[in-house]
Amino acid sequence: MLFLQELKKTIFSISYILIVIVLIAALHSQDVLNFKEPKLSKPQVGENYGTTTKETPEIIMPAALKQLWTEFCVNNYETYPIGFIKNIKLNDSEQGKVIQIISTITGMDKDVVLKTKEQFFNSSGNIVPDIKNNINYSDFKDLMQQIDDILGGGSSYNKDSLIRFGIVPISYEEALHQYNLALNEDKITGGYARLFSDYAVAMVLSILPVFLAIIIFIKDRRANMSEIIYTKNISAAKIIITRYFAIITAIMIPVIILSYISNASIWGLYSNIRLDYLAPLKYDFGWIMPSVMIVTAVGMCLTTLTNTPIAIIVQGFWWLLDMIIGLKSVESAYSLFRLIPRHNAGTQSYFQTQDYINHFNSLIANRLLFVGLSIFLIIITILIYEMKRRGKLNEKFRFKKAISNFRNRKNQYST
Amino acid sequence: MTPIIVGTANLDSNTSALPMEMFVSLIGIAILTPIFQPEQHSDINDLVSSKYINTTTIYIIRTIYSIIFLTIFISLFSVYMYIRHCDITLWLIIGTISDAIFLGSLGMIASSICNNTIVAYMVPTVFYALNYGMGSKLKNFYLFSMTMGQFTPKMWMLATGILLIITAILLKEIQKKFR
Repeated sequence: MLFLQELKKTIFSISYILIVIVLIAALHSQDVLNFKEPKLSKPQVGENYGTTTKETPEIIMPAALKQLWTEFCVNNYETYPIGFIKNIKLNDSEQGKVIQIISTITGMDKDVVLKTKEQFFNSSGNIVPDIKNNINYSDFKDLMQQIDDILGGGSSYNKDSLIRFGIVPISYEEALHQYNLALNEDKITGGYARLFSDYAVAMVLSILPVFLAIIIFIKDRRANMSEIIYTKNISAAKIIITRYFAIITAIMIPVIILSYISNASIWGLYSNIRLDYLAPLKYDFGWIMPSVMIVTAVGMCLTTLTNTPIAIIVQGFWWLLDMIIGLKSVESAYSLFRLIPRHNAGTQSYFQTQDYINHFNSLIANRLLFVGLSIFLIIITILIYEMKRRGKLNEKFRFKKAISNFRNRKNQYST
Repeated sequence: MTPIIVGTANLDSNTSALPMEMFVSLIGIAILTPIFQPEQHSDINDLVSSKYINTTTIYIIRTIYSIIFLTIFISLFSVYMYIRHCDITLWLIIGTISDAIFLGSLGMIASSICNNTIVAYMVPTVFYALNYGMGSKLKNFYLFSMTMGQFTPKMWMLATGILLIITAILLKEIQKKFR
């Protein structure tokens, strides 16, 4: 059977063995194959439950102003447009706009702002102007957004990012609520499975399958087998789809095994709790597999089109960009076009199950989008393969023909 | 692409290391990994092997000019960052070159062992990806150590990189003798 042949060919390749070894090594390095985190336990009264962020104007406004004031005085603003720090130094005109905004927030004249700025260096940064009493939070947010616009975006002053200044301790009731969510919604194992999926996709599975796809397809060309396969009485659709499913199956087998090894490592800790033993499987197919599908589809499509390993650069760049953007929101990020959805929260933050529930629809949309995209790319791959089979899209032949035509044209004038 | 992805203006020494280590050093993979690629095709290998000049000499020449090109490229990028008021030091440049040589040498040794350039690209890519997750657990082989102000790992990587390159070329010579 063709599927078993392709599966066997895939599994016994060097690149596949390398992927499995790397997957095990990467997951082991993050301690997700044998979780070492403290057991999730019911919060007790009087403990320290950590901190969270809340949109509390009384806390956010002074904290945001303090940071803005410090950055304004030294003219060095930190932004994170795509996850990495970018230091911005404003010119005089832009600093003038910032002065105007600070003046509006604090109620101070521009001259007073500049005088207070001079005192900043003398007082080791301890003098920070106060917020005007009658400024409302909505106006404050608008003014801060203007600062973010001046800085080119990605700063902490963005309307959606201001909440990060609202650091408050988690209360006993909130901690208990989070614990109950982890217990009743995640059934404990869901949280661990989610952490496993986060590491697996981010570190390995959103880049390495592309190599497998490229190698499988380029093997035909290297062995001079392409033309022989073209003449076989088998449709392009059957070849491509069989290979695609063989690669996906080959990758998902160790993923499923490792996800259960990972999850089973904590079953004994919660023996008196009703766990969801299917949680790893749900996350394997719902969270991990769509990323594997799209990466494999990209590899197959570009390799079939160009007969080169250019998919390495394309997928590598996509992975790198997504990783960098994700560094800013590792705890939870599920936007629509994220190759690597992130949810890196362990027992100490009660798996942040509430975040997961809040963004579940976004996650579903994201995963379905990538499944659809991968099916689309596979259809394109089938069409390209069929065209090449019929002698069209044969760039090598056209290139040679162009060269030989040039040679012939030159010979027309030789005597 | 690097100036578009991350800022390359007005950076201090540690922050300047970020674009250098994370992006510029990747050039090592692109330049050094395919050094053995032309001879991976059996017909070309037979043709080249039949020539008077030793293939090892050819590999050494390719490696040297690749490293020279890599050094020039990294230096030019450093000049660009210097012009944009970044705090670029000689150690940053040397560190980035070390990273690039190390990544490229991983590709070269993999190419030498597997005789497959695509698998060879996989090895340094995997190592690079692991640096995001494993971070300082890699100790003297942590690619992004200069962002933390540490330069010692760069010496380790440079030495290991050179050793791997020599080993890769010797391995090719041994494979040729046993064919």
